[in-house]
Order: sequence, then C-alpha cells, then structure tokens
Amino acid sequence: MTQTVPTPILGHTLRRAVFFLLVTLTTLIALGLMASAFHSNGLSPMEFLLLLLYAILFSWICVSFWTAFMGFIAILLGRDRWAISRQPGTPPDPTAPLPRTAILMPIYNEDSERVFAGLRAIHQSLADTGQLDGFDFFILSDTRDPEVWVEEELRWQDMVRALDGKGRIFYRNRPENTSRKSGNLEDFCTRWGGHYRYMIVLDADSLMQGATLVEMVRLMELHPKVALIQTPPIPVNRESLFARILQFASSIYGRMFTAGLNYWQLGESNYWGHNAIIRIQPFLDHCGLPKLPGREPFGGDILSHDFVEAALLRRAGWEVWLAYDLEGSYEEIPPTLIDYAKRDRRWCQGNLQHLRLAFSHGFNALSRLHFLMGVMSYAASPLWLLFLIATGVEAFIQAQHRQVYFFGENWIPVWPVSFAVEMTTVLLVTLTMLFLPKLLALLLLLKDGRLLRAYGGLVGASLSVALETAFSVLTAPVLMLFQTKFVVAILMRRAVGWPPQQRGDHMTSFREAALTHGFQTLLGVIAGVLSYIYVPAFFWWFTPVLLGLMLAIPVSILSSSMALGRQSRQLGLFLTPEESEPPAVLRYLDENLQESEPVLPALQGTPVNRFIQALTDPYVNALHRSLLPEREPPGKRRQHYLEGLIHQLEEEGPDSLSPAQRRDLIADPETLLRLHALFWSRPPANAGLLP
Amino acid sequence: MDRSKVSAAAPYLPHPTAVSSITHLQHRLQAYWQAMGVSDPDQAAALSEQALRRAAELPEIPGLDTLARAIAAAGEVLDDWLARALELPRSAPDLAAARAALLSGAAPDWPAALFAPPGVAETALETLRSAIAEPAPEPYPGVMPAQRIELFSLLGWLRR
Repeated sequence: MTQTVPTPILGHTLRRAVFFLLVTLTTLIALGLMASAFHSNGLSPMEFLLLLLYAILFSWICVSFWTAFMGFIAILLGRDRWAISRQPGTPPDPTAPLPRTAILMPIYNEDSERVFAGLRAIHQSLADTGQLDGFDFFILSDTRDPEVWVEEELRWQDMVRALDGKGRIFYRNRPENTSRKSGNLEDFCTRWGGHYRYMIVLDADSLMQGATLVEMVRLMELHPKVALIQTPPIPVNRESLFARILQFASSIYGRMFTAGLNYWQLGESNYWGHNAIIRIQPFLDHCGLPKLPGREPFGGDILSHDFVEAALLRRAGWEVWLAYDLEGSYEEIPPTLIDYAKRDRRWCQGNLQHLRLAFSHGFNALSRLHFLMGVMSYAASPLWLLFLIATGVEAFIQAQHRQVYFFGENWIPVWPVSFAVEMTTVLLVTLTMLFLPKLLALLLLLKDGRLLRAYGGLVGASLSVALETAFSVLTAPVLMLFQTKFVVAILMRRAVGWPPQQRGDHMTSFREAALTHGFQTLLGVIAGVLSYIYVPAFFWWFTPVLLGLMLAIPVSILSSSMALGRQSRQLGLFLTPEESEPPAVLRYLDENLQESEPVLPALQGTPVNRFIQALTDPYVNALHRSLLPEREPPGKRRQHYLEGLIHQLEEEGPDSLSPAQRRDLIADPETLLRLHALFWSRPPANAGLLP
Repeated sequence: MDRSKVSAAAPYLPHPTAVSSITHLQHRLQAYWQAMGVSDPDQAAALSEQALRRAAELPEIPGLDTLARAIAAAGEVLDDWLARALELPRSAPDLAAARAALLSGAAPDWPAALFAPPGVAETALETLRSAIAEPAPEPYPGVMPAQRIELFSLLGWLRR
C-alpha cells in the first residue's frame, strides 16, 4: 500500500522566509551603518565601490553566519522534525529484502592500493550489517595511465578472490573518457543501471560505514519522492598538520553548517558529487547533461556536474535532501596547502561555469542560489582582494586630503566625529559574523560530554579552535591570492586541465613552496612597505593579511609536516571523534593498508613495472586481454600506427614511449598477444624479466 | 631529431635469429610452460611438442619469428583445451578470461587435469569455471537523453 505523506509547504516556506529575512536585515543594517559614515560628505566613486563590494561580501558572510546559527539551534534543541531521517515516510514491507543498490567508485589514475583498500573496508563494514547481498560494487575506471590501469585490474581480481566477490564486485575501464566523471557515471547508468533501483556514488577517497549505506537505502525506500540524499562527508585519515587542522575544522564546525543548510534547504538541497544515494530511474530520465555552447572554459562539458544534476532533478519535481545527521560518511582531503589549492583550481572552473546556468530558464530559485553560492565561493576571493586594495587607497586618500582616520599611535580608526561608533560597529559585526560560529561550535560540545572528550576535552578543544582560527587567518590571504589567480586565468579563457590529485601525505619541499608562494611573499612585502610608508596606521590593521602572505613559504612547509601533525595529536590538539574512537570502516582501511597480503601471486613481492608485466606475465597478459572491450579490428592506419609503436618498443624500450602510446599498445588485444610472444621469444637482455 | 645515438645502441629486444635450433625452441617453450605452472618436465616437453606442431600450421605472421610463433601456438593449445574442457564459446575475451583463471593460481593442479582422460578431472574444471572473472553484469541498457538547458540571453529574455 502506498500513501503519500504531504509536504509541510507552509512550514518549509516559513523557515526560508525567516532565514532570508535575517540575512537581508543584517546586511541592510551593516550597509546602512557604513553608508551613513560615507554619505556625510557625499559619496565618492571609491566609496561607492567600497559600499558595493561590502554589500556583496557581507551578504555572503551573512548567509554563512545564519546557516551556522540555524544549525547551532537545531543541534542544541537536539532535533529537526523536518530532517529527512525524522520524517515518517511510507514504510516498505519489512520482510522484503533491500532493493538492489550499486555502489559506484569512479576513479582516474588514483593510487590503486588505497582505492581498493578503501573499497574492501566498505565491503567489510557492509558485510558486518548482514545486508551485503543487496549491494554490488562497481569500480568505474577512467584511468589513462597504463601502469595504473594494469594495477587496478590486478587489485580488482585480488579483491574479488579475497572477498569471494565474483558477480558482486565489478570493474571496467572506459576506452575513451568522454565527459569525464559525469560521462563515466552515465556510461554505468546506460549499460547496467536497469539492474538497480539506487546507486551510491563514492569518490576515490570516500569511505562509508555499512550501516550508513543500509540506512540511506532505507530512507530512499521510505520516501519515494526523493531522488537523491547527500550525506555530509567528514574528512579523516590525514596526518599532516595542515590536514589535521582542516579535519578538525570540518568536523567541529561542519556538523553545525550542514544542520543549518538542512534547516533552510530541506527538500531542495544540493548534491556534492559523492557520498550520496541516487534513485537511478529519475537520474536516467532527467540528468543527461548537455554540452554547453561555446568553448572552454565556459562552454563544452559541464565540469561540476553535481550541482547541475541536483538542479535538474529539482526541475523535474524530485526532492533532493541533505541527511545532515547521518554519520559514517567520510572522505580524505588534500594533505598540504599547495594540494588544497590545486584541488581548488579544478573546482574553480566548474563553479564559475555555473554562472551561465544560474540564470537559465526553468531552474527553481534555490537551485539558482546553489549555483550562485558555488560561484561566490571562488569569486569572493578577487572581490575581497579588490575590497582590501580599495580600502587601502581610500585610507591613503583620506589621510592626504581629508579626515585622518588613524592618528599617531591610535589602534582604533578615528572616524569623523559622529561616525566612529557606526564604523566600529560595522567592523565588530563583521568580525562577529566571521568568528562567532567557531565559538558556537565549541559551546555545542558542552552539550555532549562524550563528544567533548572525543575533541580533546574543553581545554584541548578550546585551544584547538583558537589555533585553528589563527591558522585560518594566516592561510586565508594565501588562498585568496590563489583563487584570485584561478578566477582571472579562467576569465581570460585559459582552461585548467584535469590533473589527478596527489592524495597521499607528503611533505612540501622548500623549492616547491618557494616556487608556489614566492610571488605571494613578495607581494606581501611590497604591500607592507607601501602601507607602512604611506598609511602607517592602516598598516597595523593590515598586518594579519601581510603576515599571512609574508609567512606563506614557512607556513606551507611546516603545515605539510606529518611529524608536526603527529605531535599535535599527541598533545591532544585538533582531535576529531574519528581519531579518538575510529569507526570500524576506518579501522578496516588501516588494517587493509598495513597488513593485507595480496592473494594474487602477480601482486606479491616487490612492485614491478605493470606495463611490462602485462606483456610478459602470462596471467597478467591474459587477464588484461579478457577485460578489453570487444571492438572492431583496427583500421589500416591504426595498424600502421601500432606497428610503428611495436618497432619503437623493440628498438628503444618502453621508456621511449609516452604513457598514451604504452596505453595504445596494451589496449589492442592482437598487439598484446603479439608483444607477449615477442618478449618470450626475445627476452630483453638486461631486464631480467623472463627466465 | 637526431636519432643516431639511439639507433647505435643495442636494441631493447635482441634481433630475431634467422633460424632457431630445435633445442633452443624446446628450451624456451618449456620455460614458457613452466611459467604457466607446468612444473613436470615431461608434461612441459609434451606440451612444447604440441605447440611446435601447432606453430607449423599457423600462417606466417609478419614480425614474428619461429619461436614467437611457437609461443603464440602454445597459448592456442591451451585455449583449445580450455574451450573443450570448459565448453566455452571460442570468443577471444572468453578464452582470455579462462586462460587468466587457469593461470591465476586458483587451480594449481590444472596440468594434471589437462593430461587426465575426459570426465576424470571434473573438480579441477569446476574450480576453473568458478575462477573465471566476471568484470560486469549482463547489460541492462537504459536511455539517458541529454536535457535541454536554455541559457540566459538578454535578447531571448526581452522577446519573452
């Protein structure tokens, strides 16, 4: 029997009205205070620019602040009756087995050992629930690197053998990685999607508890109008100081922000690309992505497909939820500041592309807001930079021609008599909006003693929040410059590539840091000298930004240190519940990485060149050939091309070939067989590869 | 590009010998069978003989010398047996998958099964069948039409 549970439209609307009213009112009040100070002698063009920038930036801060505040209230009260996990829904038949669900892991040139250790951990955790039979695993490889490709195949077979996963754990490598990740998922949906009612999309570094996966399916079954439920992934497992600080911040503040997002987004939430469950049929019906007209970076493939897919589902009338209270969803984050910036570079282009979609016909209002929020998460940086420059210039003009805001040793700006209060209020309000959520998050810990201990106790957690705040103040200007650079590059139509991420912990070298942050340091020094000479009092207000830039190199190097990360952990700093009491899936991952001995002989012993192994080892050669898609025999031109590569390999060895050429050689079954025979008949003299 | 330095060096794979001695051929073939798990020298020798006979029947393949053809023929001997014993279709991916299962170590006693009379080594064959990899389920195609997204244009907006 199917019943429809009516959506409390009035209640949902009221929530949103309250939220946006608060955002609007706060913005208007701050803006009014600032305008009244400026307006006394008429509004100069520079003041107008400052006001405009402040309006945009402050409203952005307000959205974030009120989201956190609503999350604070929701967690403090201990319940949000309209959370997807708390709605009664339509109970399915309790005796019926769970519907078929596919767990998808799209990968692209990743560290195979980590990918498969993670998948095994998820599999083990799912087996603990006794519900493994309802789930199939798909490793959807878009890997181009031939070494990684062969390694993935071996790791897949090893996993199947070790976990008795034949017919449950699948692997495929796409011959062409058309449309990147969204194309990868589309390929799955159109080839095998019909077998399943749901798919749970993971990222290469995602980890999810088995119980969470089962709960996600249960929630989807309860709510037939819901097409997608996003879980909030908590960053885990990194050891560098940078990543531990970020893990701590995401964990302690993140839960408040996600609760707040759910407060006002409700069934019109967003999709973050992974750690989410999707109903396959509506996804098939409504989420085929078109190419955008024009050329990259704003045209072509839609890069950040997740926001668009959520918007398309909403456009078709389906609900999209953020299950903020669903625990057991994890991801790993970039280990260093530079890697973090590299990830930003990839995301930036996709998010800016959304500017074209925000005003497209047919999307609903919240979807447009999601697009604009995505744009603002990167556009805010150049706007802040512009605001800082404009403030400096305005202070200089004021110091030269009119009122002097900073007298002698005064630390507080001395505004024209009647406006000092207003401007100080504006400043205090802005700082409160920025930093109060951190205090609120700390306060929330007092509500739950166990959680407080897991974050290192009151002293440890408070000290961690203080240090994290200092660290974020230092790194914010660096990230501002990085993001500004990316935005400018993209606006100048310089497309970014699709580089694979360096996900594992590693220390930043001085050379890398100097090359990456050298310009930022120089800029900090020049800005410091100029402001000290021309607007000396402004200089002191500017010091947090200047310090961040001038210390970028040492901060980047030191924060990438794993030793410092481990020491901070021993000191009880930046602890997260996942570090204090690791859930089973994280323990499984750790065990798999530390102890797991491969079942397959081809993976045992010292690591070898997998490309050569695919040519020489009869097993690896046969396995790889068996996984190649059936294709028409290559045409004459292609045959000549492959012939040339074979000769090059014979004469000059594998190092003379590019990865793409090596891939071409092992992507053709006939060539693979021929090379196998060649290597066995004329083994390389110095390689010691064959008996 | 100046390739003189490269071409002056010894090639990565030694040049093929014009005529390989039968001893050399058998020696390399036996090494190949051993690498595939045939540890009994007599069995390896017998299989090498079969591969040599098979190689003589193979058409000339440009770029492959006698030994390389014999190696390729050894694979075909194995595939023939797998297709017969496991009753497999003779498609290349199916045979490669069966060969991979055979060489994966799942059924280490497969040489005994190969030399056993038909119907005797059913257990080993069953193990082999269950070790054949299944990379993907049967296709269940669906359609995912590209959605229409009408981008904002001032002209279009004014017209509306």
